Amino acid sequence: MKWDAPAPKEREAGERSWDVVRSAWESRTAHPRRRRHRGALIAIAAGLAVIAAILSPPGMAVLSSIRDAVRGEKNAKSALFSLPSPGKVLVVSQRGAWIASADGSRRLLGKFADASWSPHGRFVVASRSTEISALDPKGNVRWTLSRPDAHLPSWGGSDLDTRIAYLTTSRLHVVAGDGTGDVDAGGLPAAARVRPAWRPGSPFVLAYVDTRGRVYAYQLTGALLWRSAPLPNPRFLQWSSDGREVLVVTRDKLALLRGGKAELIQFARIAAAAFRPGTHAFAEIRRRGGTSEVVLGRRILFRGTGEFRQLAWSPDGRWLLVTWPTADQWIFIRVAGQRRIVAVSTITRQFGGGTFPSLAGWCCP
Amino acid sequence: MAGSTREERAWVRGAQNGSIAHLEALFRHHWPRAYRAAYLVVHDSAAAEDIAQESFLAAVRNLDRFDRRRPFGPWLHKIVVNRAIDWSRARSLRREVGDAPLASLAATSTPDNPHARSLAAALASLSAEHRAVIVLRHLLEYTPGEIADLLDLPRGTVNSRLRRGLDALAAQLDEDVR
Repeated sequence: MKWDAPAPKEREAGERSWDVVRSAWESRTAHPRRRRHRGALIAIAAGLAVIAAILSPPGMAVLSSIRDAVRGEKNAKSALFSLPSPGKVLVVSQRGAWIASADGSRRLLGKFADASWSPHGRFVVASRSTEISALDPKGNVRWTLSRPDAHLPSWGGSDLDTRIAYLTTSRLHVVAGDGTGDVDAGGLPAAARVRPAWRPGSPFVLAYVDTRGRVYAYQLTGALLWRSAPLPNPRFLQWSSDGREVLVVTRDKLALLRGGKAELIQFARIAAAAFRPGTHAFAEIRRRGGTSEVVLGRRILFRGTGEFRQLAWSPDGRWLLVTWPTADQWIFIRVAGQRRIVAVSTITRQFGGGTFPSLAGWCCP
Repeated sequence: MAGSTREERAWVRGAQNGSIAHLEALFRHHWPRAYRAAYLVVHDSAAAEDIAQESFLAAVRNLDRFDRRRPFGPWLHKIVVNRAIDWSRARSLRREVGDAPLASLAATSTPDNPHARSLAAALASLSAEHRAVIVLRHLLEYTPGEIADLLDLPRGTVNSRLRRGLDALAAQLDEDVR
């Protein structure tokens, strides 16, 4: 018996793995465990002290004065009268999933915890604890699939053939756009709670993150296309419009993957990032101390006090929508031509109250 | 196995003292067998890479506590083979509906080496537990007593799994595996 025959992909796997083992070794040397634990204990103690201070009457007064100081953009509109660019914005609030249309009208689709557009904006896939549903923009449910802990759906494909990827606990599922043929990708490594991302165009290629922080690209009719080295706590994945690059936002940095290899890694405190449609340029939210800024390339587009949270590009790539929970505002920034800012306040109230709503995409005129 | 015991001890000592070159020597020496062992148990190159890589990472994390008087190989192989068995069990439990697209999702290319192909195909017909003892015996060349220690099994169980596994393999392979 020829036990010494090399196994398939043995050499390439060895080279990839050596890179991973070496970087793990180097980070281990750079951050001895004992110091890490001591640092964590100090951080916990400091956090408890801060919480105690905030909860005291003087602390509450300081918090109130900070809130007063963050008034957001001046001359903000009191309501969302219209979107500055064609398309529809999908929003998820405590009340459920909403669609805000170009004329400013808002429609509640139903009590869902998460939602995502279909590739051409004709439908929405939404999820709540035990089910995943496809709806039209009027809120009519086309189909529903009951699955425990169904979350983070993502819809991809062409006019004729689409697929929806979603997660149940740590397992990746793929179902056809008409709700049939649901499969559990049981042989794949367990998935992290990061929305899977479909590569634009066909054939079907899906990127997802495993629980060890590696990004995988799978072709549904074939096999593994590539796999990245582990990244620290990836939170967001997005393919560029031409499907050549993947943007990954991790706990504290941003990585740009091409064929699974990191072409660029930024170490600024990145809160969010998104490719500008049709380009390889991307906008990002950076946090510095008590302020946040929106950056495109080397250009700072907007800066404010407190926390900017999410970004969404208009479908034509001319406007950028930034959410600003600290000021309870949305900021629309015109990027093409002369810069222009349109701010809208009282966002939370307009989407049913409760906590500040999250953006789920700006799609399709 | 290439690489003397003395050489391996020197690599472990060097790595414990922070030498990346010694760690690399240790990795390159042990990678082929670790990966092959995982592959022959799980039959999936991506999973084998995961398992072998994570086993090395676990070994590296615990290298400071490793007793240099003991050989490194068995320590690593114990992690690899037990993880591969766990992975195979989990995979068989996690299948749900619609296996055909699932198979294509997890599919990997066929080995181009005919020996590897026939061996891999024959091994695939066995359970993960049987595959593991055969791989430990014939690829990694452990004695049945050592395998019993590595897998925390009675020696009699190891012998019976070897016997049954080899009988099943012999029925499928043209050449004599005994």
